[in-house]
Amino acid sequence: MPVYETDICIIGGGITSAMLAQKISELRPGVRIIVVEAGRSIFDVENRGRYRQRALDYNEHPWPGDYIEDQRAGGIISMTMAVGGLALHWGGACNRFSEEDLRLKSMYGLADDWPIEWSDLERFYCEAERRLNVSGEPSPHPEDRRSEPYPQGPIPLSYNLQILQRWAEQSGLKFSPLPMARNLTPFGGRGSCCVYDTCGEVCPSGARYSPDFTFRQLLQPKKIVLHDRTLVRRLVPHDTKSTIVAAQARHQDRPDDPIEYRAKTFVVASGYCWSAHLLLLSQSSRFPNGVANSSGLVGRYMNGHKFINATANIDDQTFPGQNMTHSLIAREYFRCRIDRPFVRHDTRVWESSAGRDPRLRSPEGKLLLGDELMADWRSRTKGSSVRLRAYVDVHPSADSRLTLDATNKNRYDDPMPKIEHRFDEKTLARDLDTKAHVLGVFNVLAKASNGRLVNSSEGDYLDHPGGGCRMGTDPATSVCDSYGRTHDHENLFVVGAPTTPTGGCTNGTLTFVALTLRSAQEIART
Amino acid sequence: MKRRTLLQWIAGVAAILPFERLRLLAQPRELTPEAISALHEIAPTVLPGALGSARTRAVVDKFVVWTKAYREGAALAHGYGHPRLVRSGPTPVPLYVAQLAALEGEARARGGRWPALDQEARRSILDAAFTKAGVRNLPPRPSGQHVVTDLMAFYFRSSEANDDCYNAIINREVCRPIAITTMRPKPLA
Repeated sequence: MPVYETDICIIGGGITSAMLAQKISELRPGVRIIVVEAGRSIFDVENRGRYRQRALDYNEHPWPGDYIEDQRAGGIISMTMAVGGLALHWGGACNRFSEEDLRLKSMYGLADDWPIEWSDLERFYCEAERRLNVSGEPSPHPEDRRSEPYPQGPIPLSYNLQILQRWAEQSGLKFSPLPMARNLTPFGGRGSCCVYDTCGEVCPSGARYSPDFTFRQLLQPKKIVLHDRTLVRRLVPHDTKSTIVAAQARHQDRPDDPIEYRAKTFVVASGYCWSAHLLLLSQSSRFPNGVANSSGLVGRYMNGHKFINATANIDDQTFPGQNMTHSLIAREYFRCRIDRPFVRHDTRVWESSAGRDPRLRSPEGKLLLGDELMADWRSRTKGSSVRLRAYVDVHPSADSRLTLDATNKNRYDDPMPKIEHRFDEKTLARDLDTKAHVLGVFNVLAKASNGRLVNSSEGDYLDHPGGGCRMGTDPATSVCDSYGRTHDHENLFVVGAPTTPTGGCTNGTLTFVALTLRSAQEIART
Repeated sequence: MKRRTLLQWIAGVAAILPFERLRLLAQPRELTPEAISALHEIAPTVLPGALGSARTRAVVDKFVVWTKAYREGAALAHGYGHPRLVRSGPTPVPLYVAQLAALEGEARARGGRWPALDQEARRSILDAAFTKAGVRNLPPRPSGQHVVTDLMAFYFRSSEANDDCYNAIINREVCRPIAITTMRPKPLA
């Protein structure tokens, strides 16, 4: 059996793993780091233009082979399992949470506080923004003050977004360009943005940050060793001490041959789903409910945010297709006065062609051909559609769970995870009021420019999920401390999304990275 | 070999051959010259007249290239939120060839080749064909349901058509300096 010895074994190869490995290798030059990732490396940057074109032309997936067929979970939001993780094809949104997210209990009597001071986390937001080279404009709200400027100025607003910003601000809300991890000029071995406008699928220039670049940069000078296509199936605890001694794995090409990693420190950086899953799978006679689980909370308090969408029609003229992946954000409702009913959400605005695309038939059912179809299309392009969305702060109950599904197993007979989100009673109780509030905001927005809402809908999953290994100060009510160190095992850390007690009300990746960089500092120190 | 022995041998081989695969192999993998010719005849009916003959021919030619570059069994976009693994189906070319032959046959039944029919006759034929193929809307990209709606989607869903519709150089999804997007798009020349 191959046995690899190292100082730090990082399990998982997504964005938090990349940031963690990068920072630790800087803080502790010469430290031995092995990154173990179940999926494959897709380092063929030169092919991404072609992959993108085939995605546009044929709807082919632009990341070939970025999944493992029998490693499927219920309730996940993406099948991607590859070096780079979900951040191979994220949009690049880099919003910060706000102080309220960390103080829900003490300010509002809701959910739980995070065991971190805002000023502490804010420093790591700055670092995360530097490493991801975030392009942004400071928020107009004084509560969002920053200790450092953004590393890049904001992404220039397209003509369409300039029109929509003027329109939206007639509501009294202040809108800013969405901060994004998108290079305006070459940086970090990546090119500059040339508005391919497929950030959420694939970015051929590399302008939108993706972790595969970081891994390649760490591999070349041998700062890390990467074992891809290797699935860690169990963490092995010491027989008597409170440490983890090994991680047991299998390589895809040698499924019958176990591999073992022995390390001084183990870091689970496997995201919201596979982190808790690995801990739960790591059952033994001493730890029958898995490792790091003396609280019984591994796989509980799975979080994320709900989202409400709407489309508005307005008279102002835009030209859909200029920069559809960029948007505006208002942070007005990140704050909620304590003497008002609780509701928190971001407010987002995109250019859109919804309801104005070419169609085959007239409303009367007549088949439209050639010039008729073009004339019908043109007649519907006067004015604009506007896409609106709010990510809504909702709080999980302890029954919001990731469990092992005995009816769904992989090739090794390991039960796969199943995620079922549940809200706490207070979230459920205010649900209708929350929806009414958000639609009210959308209606106020829509009034300008002779606008009106033409539809609205509610997402049927939680976006930017996290939880399952929540952090806290009390080992009875949390899995790890604020650095991600598990209460039960002094050399086992969990980083990023799984450690969040609540899911916030805006995109989570920057927060996951900031938390991880804070963990990295502690891991490098110990 | 005696005749009976030969027949028995053929029957034996036939029993073990994957007939479905043979059937597919026997079908055209590329549009036939006759099918391409039919597509060129139909295109001016379903594409905007403002394209003119040269651009209309170019759209058809590019669509033919699209059919040639189609890959069977390719993993399609997993989706986000509720992901699932889906693979591309068999090439639509055999279906396209049959559909074009059927359209030509229908045109002949109404008295001539496609260009000789009046607009309402063409509409009627296409309407019936689309209904039979289960096409209700213009697909976001060629979907393999019907060759003519796929040709229409190939053009009308393109960046080029978006520019034609708005009479503006938007260049949706075309690599361009970000500064260009900050200005109102210039009208098409």
